Amino acid sequence: MTVTDRAMKLLKGETIDRIPLFPFILGFCAKNAGYPIATIYQDASKSFELQTFTLEQYSFDWGPLYGYASYGTWEFGGEIKMPESNYEQAPFHTRFPVNVEEDVDQLQLPDPAKAGVLPIAMEFSKLQASNQRPISIICGGNFSIAGNICPVETLCRWMLKKPELVHRIMKMATDHIVDVVRYWCEAFGAAQVIPQMWEPLAANIIISPKQFERFVLPYLVESSKKILAMGVQHILYHICGDQNKNLPMWTQVPTGNPGLCSFGIDIDLSVAIEYLGENNVIIGNIDPIALLSETPDTIYNLCKTAIEKGKSAPRGFMLSSGCEVPPEAPPYNVYIMQKAIKDSMASG
Amino acid sequence: MSSRMEAEEIFKGLSEAVIAYDEDKSVEFAKAALENDVDPTDAILKGLAHGMEKVGELFDKQEYFVPEMLACADALNAAVEILKPHLKIRSEGPQVKVVIGTVEGDIHEIGKNLVRIMFDAAGWEVYDLGGNVKLERFLEEQQKTGADVVALSALMTTSMAAIPEIIKMIKSAEPRVTVMVGGAPLSWELARKYGADGYSPNCGTAVNDTLEAIRRVREGHGSWER
Repeated sequence: MTVTDRAMKLLKGETIDRIPLFPFILGFCAKNAGYPIATIYQDASKSFELQTFTLEQYSFDWGPLYGYASYGTWEFGGEIKMPESNYEQAPFHTRFPVNVEEDVDQLQLPDPAKAGVLPIAMEFSKLQASNQRPISIICGGNFSIAGNICPVETLCRWMLKKPELVHRIMKMATDHIVDVVRYWCEAFGAAQVIPQMWEPLAANIIISPKQFERFVLPYLVESSKKILAMGVQHILYHICGDQNKNLPMWTQVPTGNPGLCSFGIDIDLSVAIEYLGENNVIIGNIDPIALLSETPDTIYNLCKTAIEKGKSAPRGFMLSSGCEVPPEAPPYNVYIMQKAIKDSMASG
Repeated sequence: MSSRMEAEEIFKGLSEAVIAYDEDKSVEFAKAALENDVDPTDAILKGLAHGMEKVGELFDKQEYFVPEMLACADALNAAVEILKPHLKIRSEGPQVKVVIGTVEGDIHEIGKNLVRIMFDAAGWEVYDLGGNVKLERFLEEQQKTGADVVALSALMTTSMAAIPEIIKMIKSAEPRVTVMVGGAPLSWELARKYGADGYSPNCGTAVNDTLEAIRRVREGHGSWER
């Protein structure tokens, strides 16, 4: 069985020998092989190679992947900075494309062939294709791109004071997502592309369920429908942070057959399965902080609990960290996730 | 608002304007406070700050979210701008000086900004260093301003690792300074492990959590419990 056979069989609804381990692990892969974290984001070929080492070492069943949460800033004309110091985990924005109302008028849809990080992402996807790995493009979610085009605080203020500006930025983000996925589909064939959308900024620690319904949901539905209409079979949404109050609305977002939904620690896997398990493979949700600072025993027990809950997911389950594995996590703690999977097979 | 208004009515109006994030109303009541010879300090503390305290409670109960919090703060700040030139210096309530910032490697400032809003509303003197702040800047700013509190925020697990380093720097130079920490990956346990004097899980409780930590440090309690 090749690295990704197990996960692909799961997507086809076929029986598999064990629960797949899904990677949400980027900076760790660089450190694991003795490279600076920035390598993962700056150099497609090296990034692919370094991730491959770690994925093989820990028997992950997906990946490598290319993407980061600040996506959108550079592509729409702002600036980002690659991680340099020991305390930096991923690229981050240093200048937003939109700061004041007038900037919204200047926004233009980026060229998916040339804008920002997309040429590196395309080079990375070509490596995914030539190595028979799932071809992903991480280009969203819609609200998180909007929050990378314009500071989230400004976006939040405009929600109450100038909602039309938020809608305009959301529409731009949505059209951009569709453009990028279309470009990937043209390059690799729609059936091969599994887009990933990470949506941390839509968490209820930032916006209310009502604001989600008004400013986020219609755009998620729009881009998802258009992507699936291209022939894409599966979309992965990382429903990051506390989105418990948004979950009933997430059921309205088409994700494919099946889709994939991954969760952080704020959403109980049983609740995730209840809302989204019918149409989606459920992925999650080992606490990254635990991976960084807890004992192997604690992590093992977290994995056992997650696996136990995941078993009831009708379209399947993949074990994963709830968000990116901290680059400084002790390697043994990362290994424990695979050990828990293998032990769960032995115990049935 | 030309007719004579009672102070209590103005306080209530200011408080309600903040809660309703109504900038026009908060400015209107701030002007009314001046026209009716209401002490501007009282207008801030008994009106605006009282309103913001309620806003913190609503945020804590997930009835308000970040958009509302920010809009409430805008209403408060608009009124403060009217009242500020007329303030007479008066020491009432705890006078606290705070240096606050998001630590190196981390540009996420929303949480930090919400806490700053609550500190501002409590009438504290706040020195905001912004985001991605180099480790040594916190101690430099504390020593420059004589701040009682240094408040550190982090959202990323990598940047969180800067926190114990900063605490070590501050505590070896200024052991009487209270260090508060907050941010999504932090917890009571991690805060304690890192050597912080206090932790605040959200902006709604930040003022009280900080006052409690200051008390512990002043009373010389080395360790703290939740």
